Amino acid sequence: MLFPPDFLTRLEYLSILSKRVFRGQLLAQRRTVQMGSGIEFSDHREYSPGDDFRYLDWNIYARHGDLLLKRFQEEQDLHVYLMLDCSKSMGFGNPAKFDLARQVVAALAYIALADLDRINVMAFSDTIIDEFPLTRGKARILPLMKFLESLEVTGENTSISRGVQGLVHRSGRSGMTVVVSDLFDESGFQSGLDQLRYRRYDGHVVQLYDRKEMNPPMLGDVEMIDVETESDRKVTVTEKNIRQYKKLFQEHQSSVREYCRNYGMGCTQTPSHVPFDDLVMNMMMRAAGHAAAQTGAG
Amino acid sequence: MSLALPSALAFALIALPIIVFYILKVRLRQVPVSTNMFWKQIFDEKPPRSIWQKFRHLLSLLAQLLLLALMVFALADPYFSWQALKARRIVLVVDNSASMKATDISPTRFEAAIDRAIELTDGLRFRDEMAIVLAGSRPDVVLGMSGHVPTLKEAIRSIEVSDNPTQLDSAIDLGKQLIGDHPNGEVVVLTDGCAKTTLALEDSAKPGDAAIETPSEDTSAENEIAKTNAELSGVLPPGEETQSDNQDIKISWQVFATSASNVGITQFQVRRSLIDMLGYEVLASVKNASDQPVNCRLEISLAGSIVDVLPLELKPGELWSRSLEKTSRDGGILAATLTEIVSANEEQDAEKENGKEADEAAKSDELNELNALTVDDNAWAILPEQKVQNVLIVTEGNLFLRKVFEANPLVNVTTVVEFPETWPKDTLIVLHRLVPKILPPGDVFVVDPIEDCDQWTIGDMIENPIVTEIDTKSDLMTHVRLDNVVLPEARSIEFKNKPKILAGTISEEAVYTQIQRTGGKCLLLSVDLDQSDLAFRTTFPIMVTNALNWFVESSGDLRESSATGSLVSWSPNAEELKGKSLILQAPDESESTIATFQATGPQSQSANDTLTLGPFEASGVWALGQQGPQTSMKASDKPPIELITNFAVNIASERETDLRPTESMLESSTETTSLSGWFGKPVWYYVILSAAVLFVVEWLLHQRRVLS
Repeated sequence: MLFPPDFLTRLEYLSILSKRVFRGQLLAQRRTVQMGSGIEFSDHREYSPGDDFRYLDWNIYARHGDLLLKRFQEEQDLHVYLMLDCSKSMGFGNPAKFDLARQVVAALAYIALADLDRINVMAFSDTIIDEFPLTRGKARILPLMKFLESLEVTGENTSISRGVQGLVHRSGRSGMTVVVSDLFDESGFQSGLDQLRYRRYDGHVVQLYDRKEMNPPMLGDVEMIDVETESDRKVTVTEKNIRQYKKLFQEHQSSVREYCRNYGMGCTQTPSHVPFDDLVMNMMMRAAGHAAAQTGAG
Repeated sequence: MSLALPSALAFALIALPIIVFYILKVRLRQVPVSTNMFWKQIFDEKPPRSIWQKFRHLLSLLAQLLLLALMVFALADPYFSWQALKARRIVLVVDNSASMKATDISPTRFEAAIDRAIELTDGLRFRDEMAIVLAGSRPDVVLGMSGHVPTLKEAIRSIEVSDNPTQLDSAIDLGKQLIGDHPNGEVVVLTDGCAKTTLALEDSAKPGDAAIETPSEDTSAENEIAKTNAELSGVLPPGEETQSDNQDIKISWQVFATSASNVGITQFQVRRSLIDMLGYEVLASVKNASDQPVNCRLEISLAGSIVDVLPLELKPGELWSRSLEKTSRDGGILAATLTEIVSANEEQDAEKENGKEADEAAKSDELNELNALTVDDNAWAILPEQKVQNVLIVTEGNLFLRKVFEANPLVNVTTVVEFPETWPKDTLIVLHRLVPKILPPGDVFVVDPIEDCDQWTIGDMIENPIVTEIDTKSDLMTHVRLDNVVLPEARSIEFKNKPKILAGTISEEAVYTQIQRTGGKCLLLSVDLDQSDLAFRTTFPIMVTNALNWFVESSGDLRESSATGSLVSWSPNAEELKGKSLILQAPDESESTIATFQATGPQSQSANDTLTLGPFEASGVWALGQQGPQTSMKASDKPPIELITNFAVNIASERETDLRPTESMLESSTETTSLSGWFGKPVWYYVILSAAVLFVVEWLLHQRRVLS
């Protein structure tokens, strides 16, 4: 079952955890910083060392001697675009990578909706297959889950570039983009991610892979069938071939990590047997660490 | 080539499933992959397949079928006809006599022979058989015909060297019997060449003329014993006669010896003197079995105390022999030891005079050179103890009777006229004429009784009795002559129990009688000492001395030291030992239990209540006893044995002492053909080896895909 009965409970748990993890940082990074000044006052909070002096309420300090910080209501919410790879290669593995990918998309969408962000889900393979339109509010999680359940792996190959092109054309404004895919794009995953960067989308890559992809359990004479193109190839796999395959696979994984690191994109590489909530939790912890590092550096 | 198990070829049907599986395997396994982007990079760089790779599957099938064919062929146990025809029957005759302990060959002759025997077992070919026979004092089959090399090696390693003399002829003859009428029989003798043998040398010189000399009576008896043992152990078919006498059985000799020098005791015996009651005589012989003069000392000790030290100067090959007279009332173990064995060469003396005394190591080396065998440097003998006897003579007065006892230095004589109120214990009571109504308990010697008692009734006088019947087998009558003694009269006695008559008249009247009674021993001499001239005769003190020895159970005769490997007959007190378990303790304190003593036992005892012990395979003092009470608190400690008697066993063989093999023996020593090695294995061994190699090749070429 793609979404078990306790799925929503686990999503809620992740949402609460995300607020704890990103306490005091969500507004600072994703709202006020992006929206700038000219905001509507919301309430006060106690001053903490390191807070910006410009937001101190000097009137209260003059009257009562308390250092309180003014907080403001954001004026514009964040757009989160979730790009889900629906190519046939995502149906490979046990459990299939596609299952974990849909669960991760649902979890990230719920967290965003719980933070009053707007989400948009794009299903793509060699082109945009389906779309869950831009929406907001936690109540939209159930239609989103039905949408995800209705998706199937399809298409003849993976083209991140075309998927990003479809996203750019349909979205009105930039935002945070999470690409959930195995990145087995024969034309290269870099071109698609480059387009995100050029359009100033804040990108994050979630790359999924199966254990059999990393360590193929085949030896001897086999008829190799590509699940995307359904083309076959009669080969004799030797241990030397296996060593070569592993080397190429590791190089591919390294190139993804290197690209994301070079261009400031988040990157999560995980096998498909990992529980989705562990994976999302791990992503949040690393994002929090990354944000704290940026704050410290600032 | 023939097959020992043709039915195993049915396993060739396994080829059918192999072919089926091969066909199924040709249909490639379909493996889905999520992307081809990596595999393309790998396989697009490969060169086009070679012809070898195209036919690799077919070659693999052929290799597997060949592998199966080899396995099935091996199971069928193929063999060549020449293997069956050339199969050998080898009998290893191993000499484990005392001379094999010599150290002239490192570490010893025996261990070198054992090593060679094990090498010979490694040389056995397929279908060869080997038996192992010991050439000790009597031939012994250690292991019957077997082709199993580990069993043969285990049997060889179980052989221990002994102090026995060698009987090679008997062992070789037994080996020939084991070979039987086999066409490729061979007897391999591993010896030091010191034993006397003639038949084998001739056989070795002329393998086709196996002229076997007629063995001596002893050898024939030993052969019969060995043959019986072999039949009982199943190594020799029952009833098989010595058919090998007229067959061409090859005898090979392996001599492990050098012309080593040795000095040893070849004879050591002791006995009590027949003249001096306290004296004893020692017979000792020492052999210098070397080519140079030797000086040594012969130390003789009795019960640990040295009684004599004799310096000996022995010429090359000299046999020194001497009888020594010593005096001691005590008995015990008499030991002789050769010490200070040095060469008497003038050059060595000159070196010593110049102050170039050799150090201890050099002395030891010199001793080893002169005395390669040490087990014959010691010899033992058992000297019986002379016990003092208390004698109470009850007589109205007879000088001769009193003097004949007083003349014995081992007797304390007390003379009384009337019967004492109580009879003393541990005392021989001599009753002259006066006899109580009931004979006293203990040992009693009655002379010329004139009154009745509980054992007899006095009858009429016998005029001029002539002694005609003498029990010469009895110890009481040893050296006793009564046929020329004048006996004017004697008394006719009617015994209530049937006595054992030691001397009697022609009318079957008893003159000298051993009375069977409970409560003690009893002798009766019915001769009137005053009337006859018996008291004047030499035979009278001999008769009394025999009686005294009989009462104390000491014959005073020679207790002979036995030779190793021999059997010993011993006459115990049957009544005392009846039903008791006897233990024989070897000089190394290892014990063996003899069957429970039965007075009429058929195996251990003859009809004369004589126990046969042995063979004694180790020189030294053997102890015969019975189990004593447990004295140690530890359950693991054996209780000490209560000693009954000792037996001295010596090598006592000039042939074993002389370690120099004869020239003919050395010349006849040949290297036995031990060919086999790799080419002595059965055919299936090589087939399996080929299959293993083929399996490895197929695995490397196909499964490991070295060629791909």
